[in-house]
Amino acid sequence: MTFADVYARLVAAKHCAPGCSAKELVWESGKLRLFRYLPTAASSGTAPLLIVYALVNRPYMMDLQEDRSLIRGLLDAGLTVYLIDWGYPDGADRFTTLADYIDRLLAGCVEQVLAAHRLGALNMLGVCQGGVLSLCFAALHPRKVRNLITMVTPVDFHTPGDLLSKWARNIDVAAWVGDGNVSGGVLNQLFLALMPFRLGHQKYMDLLLGNPGQAQVDNFMRVERWIFDSPDQAGTAFQEFVTWFYQENRLARGRLEIAGRKVDLRSLQLPLLNLIGSKDHLVPRDASNALQGLVGSKDCTTLEFELGHIGMYISARAQREVPAAIVRWLAQR
Amino acid sequence: MNFDSLIAPLRDSADRFATAAGKYLEGTQTPGPSAAEAARTFGDFLRVETMELFQFPWSTNFASGGGAGAATPPAMPPAMQDPPAFGLNREHQLRWQRSAENGRRVGEAQHRLQLLWSDALRDAAIAFAARLQSADSGDAKGAAPGAATLRGLYDSWIDCAEEAYARIARSDPFSSALADFINASSAWRKESQASIELWAKALDLPTRSELNTLTRRVNSLEEQLRSTEPRDPTRKEPPRARRPSGARRGKRP
Repeated sequence: MTFADVYARLVAAKHCAPGCSAKELVWESGKLRLFRYLPTAASSGTAPLLIVYALVNRPYMMDLQEDRSLIRGLLDAGLTVYLIDWGYPDGADRFTTLADYIDRLLAGCVEQVLAAHRLGALNMLGVCQGGVLSLCFAALHPRKVRNLITMVTPVDFHTPGDLLSKWARNIDVAAWVGDGNVSGGVLNQLFLALMPFRLGHQKYMDLLLGNPGQAQVDNFMRVERWIFDSPDQAGTAFQEFVTWFYQENRLARGRLEIAGRKVDLRSLQLPLLNLIGSKDHLVPRDASNALQGLVGSKDCTTLEFELGHIGMYISARAQREVPAAIVRWLAQR
Repeated sequence: MNFDSLIAPLRDSADRFATAAGKYLEGTQTPGPSAAEAARTFGDFLRVETMELFQFPWSTNFASGGGAGAATPPAMPPAMQDPPAFGLNREHQLRWQRSAENGRRVGEAQHRLQLLWSDALRDAAIAFAARLQSADSGDAKGAAPGAATLRGLYDSWIDCAEEAYARIARSDPFSSALADFINASSAWRKESQASIELWAKALDLPTRSELNTLTRRVNSLEEQLRSTEPRDPTRKEPPRARRPSGARRGKRP
């Protein structure tokens, strides 16, 4: 295969859009949108699952394409799935706080789902930073979450292998944020700087030299779109997140307060499933694995997959194993 | 930018890599000093070739203003270094001086980062040359390098480079230089914003500060409004799942 062939396939993949499962908008507040995915199988009878994605990337990674969709796997197992899309913050959102995200917007989504199903509690799946938001919410509103699943979620931000945390330690975040938002592009550059040779060079060489088929190129282009489709971060919430979590490690130290209330992981008594990628370069294994020792729950399961951060969402192995693990765990509860 | 121009740098890079790898493999046909020299040359080639990876995109923003982006810290004219500020333009002069000082700090921090990146690439080149010398490349000797051989060399270089970079990136000097770079950039931006706001006020244009004040007022009003609403709406009246007109549905493939 020549470079011209690869180029032709890249051109053909230009219009590949992410997203494959049908969904409907059920609620919106400001830029936030709450979607319900339409069922693809008979209901399993479990409580609805609300997926809380991170603020730093777009949530369509959870439903990228038919053979790379965690959501599709959950739907096919009969789960009722909701997904939060936080939207793209702009200048008007610069003073949005973590309390706004957790105690107002996330809480609003939970209320919508509970009301729609006439339930008192739902199941929650927090992904990456969304897992941190989920842990905070569950600690603040323990009766509203029946089972909590965290996926590639940092809990202890001061583990030795956490390069991002080490870099963040000496940054004057207040000065960085100023009174504005933080550019998603700049954050992306920092993420890529964690492994610049693999992420900035080898990945593209792999594509050019790997004789990729059209499906592979389509997938590549969707993932590229996701990686660089990075919303700016609401300034105040970003400053709080970096300061409280990355610099001061308040969550693990039991010193975190959101909206004036203490977030105490030891108070979490609900069943917990923690999904870890052992090759995760963004959220090191130890940063996630700390959860089990910090929560009060006696029903805390940790499952480790030999996958990287993105591989946990979209690798072929993740498609086979991750939804099945979630469904199995929920069914047992 | 079309895909062809997007791919061109990678294609050129692959061509240069293949040429350099071919020379290296030729050089290894004769064991001894020439093989070691070939390995060192190949490692040096890769060191230079991948240096461009280490450019923060925002560093170019300072290239014209603060001097960052240059290989060495910019030298400020002696008369401008720290003149006393007084008179009608006192505040303006102080702002310019702060801006210049922040630009100098940005350049200095970037210079330290570039030295560390250079160290990482040097270490990577040494490790790569050592790996090449210890590897048995007998099957490739005397023949034009095949795709698998080139690929193996390339992947080996990436492994060496990531390992060397990881050691440097985890060091205290790197973290310190990166933080200094970001902190100085933040201070430079703040002074620049203040300067631009002065011009905006002179032209009676709205400023970011004014917009921020208004945003805070709106947020405060929203907060007051929310505080008058029931804390948990489901206890009095279950909220209806809201479907905006023309409720959107996800596309089916």
